[in-house]
Amino acid sequence: MPLLCVGLSHHTSPVEVRERFAFAEAAVPAVLQALRESGVVDEAVVLSTCNRVEIYAAMGGDARLALASLRGFFLKHHNATGTLDKELYALSEPQSIEHLFKVASGLDSMVLGETEILGQLKSAYDVARRGGHTGARLNKTFQRAFNVAKHIRTETSIQRGSVSVANVAVELAEKIFSALHDRQVMVLGAGDTSEKVARALLSRGAHSILVSNRSFDRAEALAKELAGRAVHFDDWAREFERVDIVISSTSAPHYVLDRKKLEPLMRARRNRPLLLVDIAVPRDIEPECNFLDDVYLYNIDDLQAIADDYLKQRQDEIAECERIIREKAAALLGPKSRPDLQGGGLAFGHK
Amino acid sequence: MGQSLLAPPPSRLQLDHVPLTDRQFFLLAVVLYGVSMVYSVFLFRRGFREDSRVNYGLLAAALVFHTIAMAKRGFSFERCPVNNLFEATLFILWTIVAAYLLLGAWQRLRFLGAFASPALFAVGVFALMPHLDPPPGPKPDFGGGWISLHAALVLLAYGAFGLGAAGGAMYLTQEHDLKYHKMRAIFSLMPPIDRMELLIGKLLVVGFVLLTAGLALTAKLPRQTAVFSDAKTQWSLLVWAVYLALVLWRWRVTQGGRRFAWCVVGSFLFVLLTFWGTNLMSELHR
Repeated sequence: MPLLCVGLSHHTSPVEVRERFAFAEAAVPAVLQALRESGVVDEAVVLSTCNRVEIYAAMGGDARLALASLRGFFLKHHNATGTLDKELYALSEPQSIEHLFKVASGLDSMVLGETEILGQLKSAYDVARRGGHTGARLNKTFQRAFNVAKHIRTETSIQRGSVSVANVAVELAEKIFSALHDRQVMVLGAGDTSEKVARALLSRGAHSILVSNRSFDRAEALAKELAGRAVHFDDWAREFERVDIVISSTSAPHYVLDRKKLEPLMRARRNRPLLLVDIAVPRDIEPECNFLDDVYLYNIDDLQAIADDYLKQRQDEIAECERIIREKAAALLGPKSRPDLQGGGLAFGHK
Repeated sequence: MGQSLLAPPPSRLQLDHVPLTDRQFFLLAVVLYGVSMVYSVFLFRRGFREDSRVNYGLLAAALVFHTIAMAKRGFSFERCPVNNLFEATLFILWTIVAAYLLLGAWQRLRFLGAFASPALFAVGVFALMPHLDPPPGPKPDFGGGWISLHAALVLLAYGAFGLGAAGGAMYLTQEHDLKYHKMRAIFSLMPPIDRMELLIGKLLVVGFVLLTAGLALTAKLPRQTAVFSDAKTQWSLLVWAVYLALVLWRWRVTQGGRRFAWCVVGSFLFVLLTFWGTNLMSELHR
């Protein structure tokens, strides 16, 4: 009984198509039930996230016919009038298994190597298993997919480092401070990116957040969201003595913090390290500040360069990950994965 | 009860049958320190991205040879091997490596070995120079054990300062990389700089306590000449004062940053470069 996969993803379709074909979380058990009752499949798992909508299924008989039935079900369920030849892909073994392993390992994700998809895949499998929609074939294949994802995570660098500016800032903070739980963070300017960085720091245990903005109302609103405290923009320097990390993203046309202003503030801090993250354009913090002892200044380009480098490292690992996946898929399939014995797999559409 | 009182202790018997001399065992240890140093260059060039298990293993193997060398020397002369410059150097290096292996149980601190191995190799090669290890007299004066304890404590202290200096070098590398936005700063597996500074501070305190205890034992030693006019005693008091200042600095400001790390490295370099010279100038310690 071969494993088949029909679906679409961010590689093949824009968000307007993906959202149209997404399965609502609450509707998934009913979809699985309908799939099995229609006699199209024997076992099925539905994975529906913001970047992909896929049905993994196992069924007996001819793979080509089975894929056509599954594709028909997919289109009919969403009342699609066209055939979606460019968007929809249909895979049989061994491509379907390799695809599942790639999805589980984050190799097929929009953010290469991200781990969120593994949790979503586990959750999708769990829904199907609890509903009795999986059997020996899917159980074995999905368990193997989770093992392959773990193997790839530990044996390669595909998931190493951060590829978002916010997480790079957190990583930098963790290279300076051994623990973030007793560190005070100050946000200057309540923009979206600074909010993301602040949230990332909070999620890693940062002690508390001070928010200062020209509009005090906006500062108060963000401080409330982050469970922090708002500070009047004219008073932020008074709080500086206790601050360890500053995230600055004001829309000021000039430097908010320069070397002349920072020097006395650093003396008051008695050599405690200070991480300055300047994500404003034009910049808020004079570059000269970085030349003061115990000050570490990073601007948006610095953070982006680190994120890009991490991404490049991940891309360099793709070939190795794919080799592991091919090996693991072949091991799962045994001799039948050999094209000379099977006649090769089926793959329709783009992927 | 059945063992003859005339039979030598088993450990001594075993070591006597080992075909290599203590100096040859130490030479093997120094060779491994050299290999570790070369491997450290590789780790540095790779940006400290890989766990330095190989380096840890190399230094652990070196410590085995190093320990055998010291044990052989100690058993053959029936005294603690801290009676000439060669032995004193062996003791300091042994302390550094043993303390490193202990701290290296924590993965991120294993990189300390990469910063310690160049010094271990250089000082080890220096210690092998024959004139540092003159043949012992027919009956070494053991001084009732106080001299051994005094020397051992002081040399252990220098070992702690040495490892602190390796930590200082590690801090300065990481601090420089962070300051100048080197990718290595973020990709390396080295610990955060404030944890490194904490470690350096603790090693200094341990070293300072050992040095103070070792120097205090001077009062128990047989007086052959005026102690305070001796060059080595004066030098030791200077070193003690320097490390007291460092400990107080660290205690007062909590974090000393780059300057503190430079001072820790510089202080140990001073100890390293003047230790042998003052020994040769000293009537009591020569």
